[in-house]
This record gives sequence, structure tokens and C-alpha cells, in this order.
Amino acid sequence: MPLNISSSDAILLAHAAFGVTGCMAALWVFVEALNARPGNADRLQLAALVAAVCMAAAWICGGYWYVHFYPPEKALILKGPWPFAHNLFMETKEHLFFITGILAFLLPIAAREKLYASPAARKLVLSIAALIAITGLAVEGAGAVINHGVKLALLHDVSKGAR
Amino acid sequence: MHSAIGSESSKLTPATSGFVLSAAITVLFNTALAWVKDSSPALNGFMKSLSGHHWTTHGLVDLVLFVGLGLIFMSTRVAQKIDANRLIGVLIGAVTAAALGLALWYAFF
Repeated sequence: MPLNISSSDAILLAHAAFGVTGCMAALWVFVEALNARPGNADRLQLAALVAAVCMAAAWICGGYWYVHFYPPEKALILKGPWPFAHNLFMETKEHLFFITGILAFLLPIAAREKLYASPAARKLVLSIAALIAITGLAVEGAGAVINHGVKLALLHDVSKGAR
Repeated sequence: MHSAIGSESSKLTPATSGFVLSAAITVLFNTALAWVKDSSPALNGFMKSLSGHHWTTHGLVDLVLFVGLGLIFMSTRVAQKIDANRLIGVLIGAVTAAALGLALWYAFF
């Protein structure tokens, strides 16, 4: 079966996949921080690094796709039944993602603290990891709404043509 | 029991406290820039002229600000003077305010 996957598709899916993996890595950090002890300090730092690298990859893939491939989809959404998929969800997502990214870059710095010896550092890492997971999943959810906005616009066009 | 556990610390290193304060300021700046950019076509156009797209410039400015402020706060140790728990509260408050600020702005303006 031939796979008809364009570079636009691959980049968009990589963006979402890196974003979800970054969120999962943040949750991994959260769990390690809950059980912080000298024995899991290296693993916690590795998880924090994975979260940062995944979010950086999601930033690059998403940014490239947004700049090069999104404009035609934006035009479709705005003409379709869900214009708020761009006006509210994409506009919020494209700027909220910067917050998730900054937090993801902060996480490996905070994870270098001795969490098993410092309640404040442990609380800090738990907070950063939770904020990454919450904002990251909100961004993922917004992506689904934007995708649905495009789908509805296309279905709207097709159903108008069929009438 | 590890020897460090006995002497529990509520202090953060200069690097951590500096970059936490920097992150709190950067996320608030990010939302403020989104508001101003959205209401000023001139600024939007200027940011587009710098990198080819306003969003790319916005992200780069955020990154430069985060790293720049973080290094300044780390070397001056200014953030270390703030109680660690208060600093965590500042970060959570800043992220919450910045995120809600974005959503409410695009919902109503």
C-alpha cells in the first residue's frame, strides 16, 4: 500500500509527537521528584533533559510548519463554521507554547539541585514539571480543535458542493 | 541515609533561583508582547521584517530574554535574596496569569 505522506504531514505529526513526549517526560520528572533520593538523581536529570530536548524539537517542527504550511489552513478555518479555531485556539496556542518551552528549558537547570536534600528544590521541580504537563496538554488540545476547524471547513465546502 | 539528607536546605543555587525569576519575567513579557503585537500592526510588521515572521521573532526575543536575564540574575545573585517558596509562588502565579492573559485576550479582543 503506497504511503502518501507529504513533508507537511510528517513535520506536523512530529511536532505533536515531540510535544506529547515532552509532556510525558515532564510527568516522569514529577514522579521521580515525588520519590527524590540520591539513587534516582541521575535518572531525574535525564528525564528533565528529555523533556527539554523534546520541547525544543516540538518548537522547531511546529514553528517551521506554522510559518510554511499553516496559511492555507488558516484561510480555510476562517471561511468555515469554526473561525474561533484560529482566532482563539491557534492564537492562544502559538503564544502559550512559548511558556511551555521556557519552562521545559528551566527544568534541567532546576533538576541539577539536590532534590533529596532540599524540600524547596523538590517543590520547585514538582511545580515546573506540573506546569509543563498542564500547559503542554492544553496546547495539544488546542491543536486538536484547530485540526477539527480545518476538517469542518472542508466538510462544509463538500456539503455545499453536493447541494 | 545520605549525609545531605540530614541538613535539609530551603535555599536554591544562584543558577536555579536566577533562571526561575527570569522564567517568571519572560512568560509575563511573552503575554504582554502578544497583546501589544496584536494591537499594533506596525510592531507586528517590524517583527516580521526581522526574521520573516512575527512569531519567529517573538520566540527568539523570549529565548534571548530568558537566557540573558537568567545569566544576569545568576551572576548578581539577586534572585537568591528572595525566599525559595516565594520564588516558586511567583513562578506559578506568573505562568497562570500569563496563560489566562493570552486565552482571555484572544477570546474577547
